Amino acid sequence: MYKSFFLKSVLALSVLSLLTSCSDDDNNAANVSLETKTFSNLYAPQTGGQGQPVGGAFTKFSFSQNATVTDDSWDIAFRGTTIIVNGGSAIGITDEPTRTGNGAVSIVTNTLDAVTTIPDISSFAQDATNTYAIPTGSGNGWYNYNSTNNLITPIAGKVFVVKTHDGKYAKMEIISYYKDAPATPDATALSRYYTFRYVYQPNGTSF
Amino acid sequence: MKLEIYIIVLLYFSLHISAAQVATDSVKSNQLQEVIITGTRTQRSVATLPLPTQIITGESIRKSGLSRLNEIIQEQTGLITVPDFGGGEGIQMQGLDAAYVMILIDGQPLFGRSAGTLNLGRITVNNIERIEIVKGASSCLYGSEALAGVVNIITKKPEITEKLKTKVSYKHASFNTNDVSTTVEYGKKKIGLELFANYFNTDGYNLSDNSFTQTVEAYSNFTIQPKVKINFSEAVNLLINSRIFNQNQDYKSEVNVEKYSGESQINEWNNSLLLNHQISDKFKLVYDFYATNYKAREFLNDANNQLFDESNFNQWFYRPEIRTHYKTGNNIISFGTGLNVETLDRTFFETKAKLNSEYIFGQLEWFIKEKWNVLVGFRYDNHHQYESQFSPKLGINYKWNESFSLKTSVGYGYKAPDLRQLYLDFTNSAVGYTVLGYNVAEERLAELSSQGQLLFSNNFSFSNPLRPESSVNLNFGGYYKKSNVTIDYNLFYNIIKNLIDTKAIAQRTNGQNVFSYFNVDRIFTYGLEVNSTYKTSSNLTFSMGYQYLIAKDQTVVDKIKRGEIFARDPITLTSFRLKSSDYFGLYNRSNHTANLKINYQIPAIKTAVNMRFFYRSKYGIFDSNNNNILDKYDDFVKGYFLTNLTLTRDFNNAFSMQLGVINLIDYKDETNIPNLPGRQLFTKIEYQF
Repeated sequence: MYKSFFLKSVLALSVLSLLTSCSDDDNNAANVSLETKTFSNLYAPQTGGQGQPVGGAFTKFSFSQNATVTDDSWDIAFRGTTIIVNGGSAIGITDEPTRTGNGAVSIVTNTLDAVTTIPDISSFAQDATNTYAIPTGSGNGWYNYNSTNNLITPIAGKVFVVKTHDGKYAKMEIISYYKDAPATPDATALSRYYTFRYVYQPNGTSF
Repeated sequence: MKLEIYIIVLLYFSLHISAAQVATDSVKSNQLQEVIITGTRTQRSVATLPLPTQIITGESIRKSGLSRLNEIIQEQTGLITVPDFGGGEGIQMQGLDAAYVMILIDGQPLFGRSAGTLNLGRITVNNIERIEIVKGASSCLYGSEALAGVVNIITKKPEITEKLKTKVSYKHASFNTNDVSTTVEYGKKKIGLELFANYFNTDGYNLSDNSFTQTVEAYSNFTIQPKVKINFSEAVNLLINSRIFNQNQDYKSEVNVEKYSGESQINEWNNSLLLNHQISDKFKLVYDFYATNYKAREFLNDANNQLFDESNFNQWFYRPEIRTHYKTGNNIISFGTGLNVETLDRTFFETKAKLNSEYIFGQLEWFIKEKWNVLVGFRYDNHHQYESQFSPKLGINYKWNESFSLKTSVGYGYKAPDLRQLYLDFTNSAVGYTVLGYNVAEERLAELSSQGQLLFSNNFSFSNPLRPESSVNLNFGGYYKKSNVTIDYNLFYNIIKNLIDTKAIAQRTNGQNVFSYFNVDRIFTYGLEVNSTYKTSSNLTFSMGYQYLIAKDQTVVDKIKRGEIFARDPITLTSFRLKSSDYFGLYNRSNHTANLKINYQIPAIKTAVNMRFFYRSKYGIFDSNNNNILDKYDDFVKGYFLTNLTLTRDFNNAFSMQLGVINLIDYKDETNIPNLPGRQLFTKIEYQF
């Protein structure tokens, strides 16, 4: 009862604020309309590995479209455990898509919900020759690799604040690398299926 | 197996009827004051020693019917045996790892920690007179490694008795385990000789579903311990102790679907010469020379019997030492000096590694007044390969009254970086990561870089030498003994600085990391230990033990305070921030461990019933929610109870028989506790003539 009243009043207030603040100050715009979405089972296959040269097309994702894309409107792209951004220059790996955007990423240690502001501009990184904006390797970027059970597990409390190819922002947290995001994956779980939660901010700098 | 039990039980009781007439009770109820030598290297009564100690008597070892040291240790309060890979077990003491506990046989250190743990299963208990345990930092007497404490296994001494004495025992137990021991003693005039030999074999056991490899593979070993004692005069005697140990164990491995089998061999040799010279009533000199060699070889052959993998480990240690003890009144001043030479040649070392050091130590046992005594000691180790160490210790004992004394002590302990942490050069062939010892890391990194094998380097500096891990230890306890009750309690606190752990120092072009060893963490442990015995009559004795323990990583505690550690919700898989109260502590530590032992002597049938109950509360062995720490949302090993029972029947002074059940309730946790194989039965006979 109280809750629904609260929600209604917040909604009313935000509508009011939308109506009243048609200025350039859009910092607090439409906060409640931001939705936390979960994208499940983004498949990111690769060829090679285990000593062989790694290759294969990256699976490209667009936050604004909430979908994988094949054109240049991608924000981040996945291949195996490697994640690249649509910004910067070519790293120099095989089958790398061309970057047409100005994307970047800042890795924040926090919970997804608690990230409410865009981090300092200096913390954003882009891909470059031999440099990954999201570092690769166990314990370096987004995952840990357990050599006894060969499982890839996303590190808890790692949030990517992504600057999209067209200069918007999204925050995301990878929650699983296995198909259908099992709570405790076992050796039979199919890998390279990303599940992540994210919030896309189409016109503002806070979440 | 069932049939076997019936036969044994039948045999047991039929024998009992025939021998029940033989009377005389050999059990002596009045105990002499307990004496311990490990705390001070002098004869010292437990009541006046200001250090936390524990003595396992030979009689209690005999009553338990157990064969190997790991089995005895896991029945003691506050000592947890922790399984290592390959089935070995080490001792956790005051919540500190097995790597920090020094193991001595007759005062001489054992070597052969190929991965940090010294496997207690190497040691037979059949010729042990008693085991002395000193808890807390003891580097003031024993140097490196004696950071958590010292376990000194004191074997039986040769006596000069002028007659031939022989003792034979045979034990058969589950998993086709056989244990045969024999001791032959002979003495004439000034010379005493003793020869002890033991043979042990077992089929091992399997707790997994794998039909090719077992949890513990079959193995067999033998121990031979000859001893010679020569009394040159009243004042001068020489002791020569040798120990030869040899073990062969099956070694199997399955890589993908390929099956490999081979063997794991250990050859150990210890030799000590001890010359005691009582120069006067007050002054004693001891010349002590010790040498030991530990050699291990492992190999695996493929299906075509071609060598697939091999590793070697060859460690030598020599130590000459001179000690003096000077007595004035009740006070004793001790001094000692010596030299350590250690070499290790092993696979994954480029060259043979060497550690040299010289040391001196001094100690004052000062009985100030009737009620007070003080123990002050120090040791200085001049190390050539790392920072030299000064290890002081202070203990105070206050005698409240005839039956109660208070003990408190503070000490410094350290553990030198081991040779693996300094010189390892290892690359995993399957995954491709590399581990480099601290002293070789810089050079090898430069090599890898010049070969174009590095993606980037984290630019760590290796200019300062790797520092020893060091601890400060505090104990505050009391000892109460009155007629048929003893209570012994101790509050302890340990803080370890400069804990050595691995850090990624570079990344290889294959995406894998290069690791080396660094001084990183700080951990602390604290808790309470209580031991008590109560004798209701001369035939019934209860003993109880309890330990409360908290063991945590200070770095993690600080990180949680700063809100930097997260966990994943097991259902939604989203991350959340951990609270301080969510942190459980270090792996493999239980908050509560307890034991109850009942010994009941039935004189009418000359049988002793020895029942032991154990409890261990829950603990974690790995992080299951991927934040690299153990928090309350992780999976835990469930707390459990164990029961062991042994019946001992003495037919006359020469012959005895035992029946026993280890893990009576058959508790098992196959996935988490590999050193708990389920119920085991045994029978043992002993004969002396």
